[in-house]
Amino acid sequence: MKSSEKINHLYWRAGFGLSPGEWQQKKDWSIKRAVDHLFEEAAQIKPVSSRSEFLQSVDKKAGKLSKEQRKKMMKKSRNLIVKQNALWVARMTDDKHSALLERMSLFWHGHFACVTKNSNLVYKQLETIRTHALGNFRAFVHAMCKDVSMIRFLNNQQNKKRKPNENFARELMELFTIGQGNYSEQDIKEAARAFTGWSSDKQGNFEFKERHHDDGYKSFMGKTGHFNGDDIVNIILDRPETAAFITRKIYRYFVNEKVDEKRVNELSRAFLKSNYDIKKLMLSIFKSDWFYESKNIGTKIKSPVELIAGIMRNLQVDFKNPKSLMFIEKALGQILFIPPNVAGWPGGKNWIDNSTLMLRLNLTYYLYGKSDVNFKVKDELEAKKRGQAFRRIEGNINFEPLLNTFDNKSNAAIFDAMKTYLILPPIRLNESDFYPYVYKTHSSDYIKSLAMRMMSLPEYQLC
Amino acid sequence: MKRRNFLKQSALASTSVLVPSFLKAFGGGQLLGSRSGKILVVIQLSGGNDGLNTIVPFQNDIYYKNRPKLAVRKNEVLRLTDDLGFNPALKSLRSLYDDGMMSIINSVGYPNPNRSHFRSMDIWHTASDSNEYLSSGWLGRYLDSDCADCESPYHALELDDSLSLAMKGKERTGFASNNPQQLQKTTSNKFLKTVAQHDHHHEEQVAYLYKTMIDTQNSAKYLAEKSKTHKSRVNYPNNGFAKDLKQIAELITADCDTKIYYVSLGGFDTHANQKNKQERLLKNYAEGVSAFVKDLKQNGLLDDTLIMTFSEFGRRVKQNASGGTDHGTANNLFLMGGQLKQQGFYNAAPQLTDLDKGDLKYEIDFRSVYASILDDWLDADARQILSGRFEKVNIW
Repeated sequence: MKSSEKINHLYWRAGFGLSPGEWQQKKDWSIKRAVDHLFEEAAQIKPVSSRSEFLQSVDKKAGKLSKEQRKKMMKKSRNLIVKQNALWVARMTDDKHSALLERMSLFWHGHFACVTKNSNLVYKQLETIRTHALGNFRAFVHAMCKDVSMIRFLNNQQNKKRKPNENFARELMELFTIGQGNYSEQDIKEAARAFTGWSSDKQGNFEFKERHHDDGYKSFMGKTGHFNGDDIVNIILDRPETAAFITRKIYRYFVNEKVDEKRVNELSRAFLKSNYDIKKLMLSIFKSDWFYESKNIGTKIKSPVELIAGIMRNLQVDFKNPKSLMFIEKALGQILFIPPNVAGWPGGKNWIDNSTLMLRLNLTYYLYGKSDVNFKVKDELEAKKRGQAFRRIEGNINFEPLLNTFDNKSNAAIFDAMKTYLILPPIRLNESDFYPYVYKTHSSDYIKSLAMRMMSLPEYQLC
Repeated sequence: MKRRNFLKQSALASTSVLVPSFLKAFGGGQLLGSRSGKILVVIQLSGGNDGLNTIVPFQNDIYYKNRPKLAVRKNEVLRLTDDLGFNPALKSLRSLYDDGMMSIINSVGYPNPNRSHFRSMDIWHTASDSNEYLSSGWLGRYLDSDCADCESPYHALELDDSLSLAMKGKERTGFASNNPQQLQKTTSNKFLKTVAQHDHHHEEQVAYLYKTMIDTQNSAKYLAEKSKTHKSRVNYPNNGFAKDLKQIAELITADCDTKIYYVSLGGFDTHANQKNKQERLLKNYAEGVSAFVKDLKQNGLLDDTLIMTFSEFGRRVKQNASGGTDHGTANNLFLMGGQLKQQGFYNAAPQLTDLDKGDLKYEIDFRSVYASILDDWLDADARQILSGRFEKVNIW
């Protein structure tokens, strides 16, 4: 295997692929150099533009608002969430930001899956996720248990001493930490008691409401005491099953859906020993030899956001209208900040059916040809409108970097270089198979048309 | 062969022996229809249809007290029983009801109801418990189970550009197409055809993508051809929903290999100014369905078809301040077809005296309806598909 193929694999899994310029710069780097560079970039979290706008309160219950004002407030909030969505995708694709950090954040966003209608809570949660994405998982869980959108999403506002609500406690264990089969129904009841009173104020800050808190003795996972929520988190995190559950999920996401049990055991023991140092765990994966074995390369179906971010990097796409981006996310089944439920996006083959696959295969053409997309996204609440639903994806491709990087004397050399750059799994089509469908006379036309064709191969859907 | 299959086939055989030849010639279409097996059509009313203003409890004072502005007036209700009747917008369903082609199940829901559209819809689609998250749908898992002739990718077809969770299994998925001819154009792109010739991949994910691509190309071609085979002679109303139903009727009549059809009608989230909105939608629904049933009946295919209509939840008993209703819980569910044993109402009207914080309590788990459809209509194993046993409703 060429070393540039390994570099591509690394940047696809630890980021969202490389722009043509980055590819030219980094394709011959050693793995060690590339990994170190990725983590150096990630050590610095660059501030988000429009931060103060996002932090504005949009609580429709705060103060006395008329019906009109409330409506306006909700609309503003919706627009700000769309804006954050576009801004996040831009961070994933802009090489001035750390791709690794955004990639890790995307993983954790799917892990701590949560939906809220308040734009400022969306913002705060993503900031928390970014802060801990490569930090300490124990501190991360503590922070998410005090995250207001999570508290509201999982009904912990209603979790009171007199009438406990178990939703938060259940998902904390089932989905966020230790996984099914490692706790009893009684553990859920006791944990729910410990989290009573963990609530929020109207401005969207965490608030501990002591009068709703049950301070009595709890018996949880074999231990007894006046436990509060923090104690519960610590008891769960002390269990090796938690390290195993999280490591396994990370392995399936970053390495391979087919789990190598021996490797996951080793990794999870080290994860626990490090007291949940996420950075250390990721470093040991990306620096290992086995991560670059061919069975792990080009075998993961890109999620819609990964696909979009990758296309944007490869073709230097600039979406003129964030609605075009939202349309693609929606049609392909992954809208940032709107996971399907608390279990997150199931991923893998679940992304694919006949409808999403055809749209994926034609996506670069819709961008390139600026042709109308004949596809109507589901809107459960709206009445079906009559007639065809044509929609134009408003985005511009900047071919310059691609042309600069791949211009070469021979078409054959261009073909080989582009194949390595764009496609991770082996492909069966030869250069000549593409001939009827590409322009060959000028190298610039050849590069453009070949890129379009390669990006509509099923193989481009994999990383 | 399963016992039921055997019985069906021998019943069919015996009919053809006993029916005099002049009748056989007359009813030839009917026999042809039943030979291809049972068909299920699922109609989803998205947004949470207000069941109480659909099937109106016109003798109930609590209903009128809670809905001073919104209740359907007693003299306008199309009376079906002593205490229940149709919203007048459902006029075109009247004859279906009178002819025994409709069963109405009241108070269908599930324990610990969720009032979010998306969550509750997911619960209906995946047939999960309220606190359980599944990533596969009930019809998708039916495709996964070893069901007869399920291998064709268009065995389950959704008339839409994208596929609902209900239709996604763990191994197999249904097929989404709003317009097969259009889809055929998109997929018959020459480059993708060339690509398809380079199949034979061993790695699981690549192979899966290639298989889906090739299946899509072939299915689009098949469905486009089938949809041209038969043109309906029934007049359908001019709206998207009716157009979908017409297309389904044409495919069924053309003896298409598709056995499950899925179609949605949206807009039922009537928080404000409900009356006009809901009645317009109910009218579209009723007129579309009535034309569809007539069409199937004319072609002798109604006995082989079961139509189920559901919504993700009903609405609260009390009207709100904006002339609408807010998200509620249990709701009524309709079954239609030519072979319903229990015609008319399956159970009594919802109990308005026994509410849960202003909401109807469910009496029949929706998964009981699924279980009956899976076991008794589709000849599948409901216990396995629903991972549990639900008491069945005996409708046919």
